[in-house]
Amino acid sequence: MTEAFHDIEWLARTRQRGDVSAWLARIPYARRIGVSVETAPDGDGLLFRLAPREDNIGNVLLPALHGGVVAAFMETAATLDLMLAAREPRLPRVVDVSIDYLRTVRVMPTLARCELLREGRRMANVRVRAWQDDEGAPVATARLHFALGGVTTQDA
Amino acid sequence: MSFPTPDAADWRRAITRFVTVIPHTRGLGLTVLEAGPERVLLRLPWDDDLLGDTARGLLHGGVATMLLDTACGSAVLPALPEPEVCPTLDLRVDHYRPGVTGQALYIEARVVSVTASVVFTEGRLWQDAERPVARGVANFMRLGARNTPTGFKQALFAVEDDND
Repeated sequence: MTEAFHDIEWLARTRQRGDVSAWLARIPYARRIGVSVETAPDGDGLLFRLAPREDNIGNVLLPALHGGVVAAFMETAATLDLMLAAREPRLPRVVDVSIDYLRTVRVMPTLARCELLREGRRMANVRVRAWQDDEGAPVATARLHFALGGVTTQDA
Repeated sequence: MSFPTPDAADWRRAITRFVTVIPHTRGLGLTVLEAGPERVLLRLPWDDDLLGDTARGLLHGGVATMLLDTACGSAVLPALPEPEVCPTLDLRVDHYRPGVTGQALYIEARVVSVTASVVFTEGRLWQDAERPVARGVANFMRLGARNTPTGFKQALFAVEDDND
């Protein structure tokens, strides 16, 4: 695959178009768990969606989605949201993640919205809120730090 | 129905049952190498679905988070007087370096402290033991015997007839 994240021109081009789906298509684990993206109907940034796949279940008794899968979904959302919202095309690398589980994540679509709280020269701080049928009753919140490496920097 | 104190082999079978009943980790082929009150050690074979960046061959960071959650949750059971259902309260993951394509992942977790309401755990993930990929700290809520389905322990330790 020649069009990939380390290709600065492709990254800049897809970013210009706001083509976050092209990025998602190149993230195999995001495809496996069924992450998709849309423009929020209220025009307020991106809305990420996690499909309620059978394979994403972590507790068969309740049943409930795997908390770790929900975390991976929120991390994917934070990374892509940051790539689009950042001042220039850059590849963020996750430094740490802190997630609070607030409610059982039922087997139904899960949505997430991100907020870039700070974009410094080297670091970014992103907050993510995930919910199911009511944005006011989140199932989980997360906070992530990303190192902002240059696209050409190997393993920044 | 009563059980003698489980030994290492009993716990390995029980935790194997615990992780293989989870559709997500069963689908990825997670196996239990060791389990007991001291620690659990899990192994996930490499699969290209685990990638976060295909061109550079890097593990998706969320896979590390998912595996640390699973490992820490598995470590909780053998550390309690009786197995209880314990949902994750919160989870913190530090990513030391990216995981790389083609190598199995190993995840170790242990319980640090148990109180009446919370189980504190920590875990590590690596591909090469000399080069840790991530560390996790996860706290679990104890729901207590009253909120644990009857038969939970029996289901974990039931002897399976392999000839079925």
